[in-house]
Amino acid sequence: MASLEIRNVCKSYGSVDVLKSINIAINHGDFLVLVGPSGCGKSTLLSMIAGLDEITSGELVIDGEVVNDKHPSQRDIAMVFQSYALYPNMSVEKNIAFGLEMRGVPKAERDKKVESVSQMLQIGPLLKRKPAQLSGGQRQRVAMGRALVREPKIFLFDEPLSNLDAKLRVDMRTEIKKLHQRLGATIVYVTHDQIEAMTLATRIAIMKAGILQQLGTPQEVYDTPNNVFVASFMGSPSMNLIPATVVAHQNSVAARLTSPQGNELILPLPQPERYQTWIDKPVILGIRPEAITDMSSAEPNNPWVFPADCQVDVTEPTGADVYVLTTLGGKEIVARMRSNCGAVVGQKTPFAFNMAKAVLFDPQTENRI
Amino acid sequence: MTNQEVKASSSRFWRVLIYTTLIVFAAFYLLPLFVMLITSFKDLEELRQGNMLSLPQNWTIAAWIKAWGSACIGLTCEGINGYFWNSIKMVVPSVLISTLLGAINGYVLTKWRFKGDRWVFALMLFGCFIPFQIVLIPMSQILGNLGLAGTTTGLVLVHVTYGIGFATLFFRNYYAAFPTELVKAAMIDGASFLGIFWRILLPSSGPIIVVTVIWQFTNIWNDFLFGASFAAGESAPMTVALNNLVSSSTGVKEYNVDMAAAMIAALPTLLVYIVAGRYFVRGLMAGSVKG
Ligand SMILES: Nc1ncnc2c1ncn2[C@@H]1O[C@H](COP(=O)(O)OP(=O)(O)OP(=O)(O)O)[C@@H](O)[C@H]1O
Ligand SMILES: [Mg+2]
Repeated sequence: MASLEIRNVCKSYGSVDVLKSINIAINHGDFLVLVGPSGCGKSTLLSMIAGLDEITSGELVIDGEVVNDKHPSQRDIAMVFQSYALYPNMSVEKNIAFGLEMRGVPKAERDKKVESVSQMLQIGPLLKRKPAQLSGGQRQRVAMGRALVREPKIFLFDEPLSNLDAKLRVDMRTEIKKLHQRLGATIVYVTHDQIEAMTLATRIAIMKAGILQQLGTPQEVYDTPNNVFVASFMGSPSMNLIPATVVAHQNSVAARLTSPQGNELILPLPQPERYQTWIDKPVILGIRPEAITDMSSAEPNNPWVFPADCQVDVTEPTGADVYVLTTLGGKEIVARMRSNCGAVVGQKTPFAFNMAKAVLFDPQTENRI
Repeated sequence: MTNQEVKASSSRFWRVLIYTTLIVFAAFYLLPLFVMLITSFKDLEELRQGNMLSLPQNWTIAAWIKAWGSACIGLTCEGINGYFWNSIKMVVPSVLISTLLGAINGYVLTKWRFKGDRWVFALMLFGCFIPFQIVLIPMSQILGNLGLAGTTTGLVLVHVTYGIGFATLFFRNYYAAFPTELVKAAMIDGASFLGIFWRILLPSSGPIIVVTVIWQFTNIWNDFLFGASFAAGESAPMTVALNNLVSSSTGVKEYNVDMAAAMIAALPTLLVYIVAGRYFVRGLMAGSVKG
């Protein structure tokens, strides 16, 4: 059963439409991550789920019940804010227990719950301190404790890790993931970090300018992006987007690319029936850097791997791999090769294109074909 | 001299100049206080000799005792103590009520914004700057209609009304810098409108409460016009009584008693500054830097 349903939700501030007909449904236990560039309306959507912002039109359904007109405290949700929003005048213990106290939970029971949550988050020794006496990571834990102790139907997180340093962010990310697996809770999580989105989510919703671009599992979103925006937003380094032309080739269909030297590169496309109507038309070929490798790292039994000699422009070693840059169709493209692949700048080297992973986009609408 | 020495000596010069100026001004302002103090400790005999600036030959607190308990104000000769309590009875409720209302207004104007809230705030600010004289007649009419003419309660009402404007201004600016996310978090936690105010905002408002209390206390305690206009006779506040004491003494002018009474009248505000002055500056800064 759907735990949270967002039906045709719109939001406008005066004449500005911030959210345009958003439709999302997630099941109990799902970890939904909302990603998108700054200002695309992620926080606004989260606020509307929490009930802190009014919905202009559409319906918000939690466990089968429309909650549009319910006060935030009656929606059975808990929220972790980017700034943590810990009450500065209360000790950690009081902070965590405040929601229970407001709901009239007796003191003895409150203490027991605070105790078990503080054990789970390892903040026992901090209970008597004020928020000002905590480090960023500790504050983050307390903020999570405050949400956990209420055992709500849905957890809402608004960029909870963005105030932490890089190392701590990775640690806390793992911890949130463990927590989700242990509690089986339903979570809606806002971030603009696509790595955070990929690692945490069971479902990703990518937004841009108030419009939902794609909703799917991390793998779906990564492998079959709906449009050019999603393709370039998810993944780092981002997907290569190469201007190409669809051509008929040996009873099938292929993409034709041109190198700077004027050579033509013909790369056969899987699922030729899909592209029949596109023959002799321009398209954008999307292929991720890890789908372009050196010959020896290519999958040997994959019939869709095609070699092509290309001029190496730049090499960027990362330690484990080396990113090899070349130019195709007038665009700089990135290939991910083994660090000992022997690519030399200025010389030609064989690139192996795994066309099974390639996708095509309409250059006009930028949607996937 | 090296460059550095030149710099050092010139900065030294400015320092001396600044401090000298400050000391001169401080002395200038402190001189009347000094004269008041030493006069209040002299006896009448010594006053007659006319050495205003000389220290008392026989220190005595007789003038203070007389001012407090037996000086004549109008027809009664019971000192100013009754009026002192009048002032206390006026100032304490006025300060508490106007501060509390100001705090609630500031809370609503920043965290529960509504259509037209800017106008409400602008009108309140406008209220701060209406000259007292303009409202005297309508105010006395209203107090008369309410049956509060000539009472301390009436005076409290007047001061609360006037005080709300400034109190609201202070709290609004302070709460504007208070993170709204805390209010949202408390809403999700299930705290009510007043619950959020009492449990979250008010406990973090120490500095601005001090500022408002000091501001209101000194203004209301020192007010003369409203006191003289709306609370004559028995319920007059300290300032009015002091004026009557000074102007109504018959026969020999007892300057020492007048000065002692004036000192007594000034003590509470002085005390408030000494106790809370540190927080006053801190509170003003907190409001202005972040607001
Ligand atoms: N009260 C408001 N009045 C008018 N416009 C607003 C208001 N609040 C937000 N907006 C606009 O709504 C859009 C979405 O804002 P939102 O805070 O949801 O973005 P976001 O996706 O969370 O961005 P970020 O990643 O920077 O947090 C922004 O363009 C913002 O300017
Ligand atoms: Mg945001």
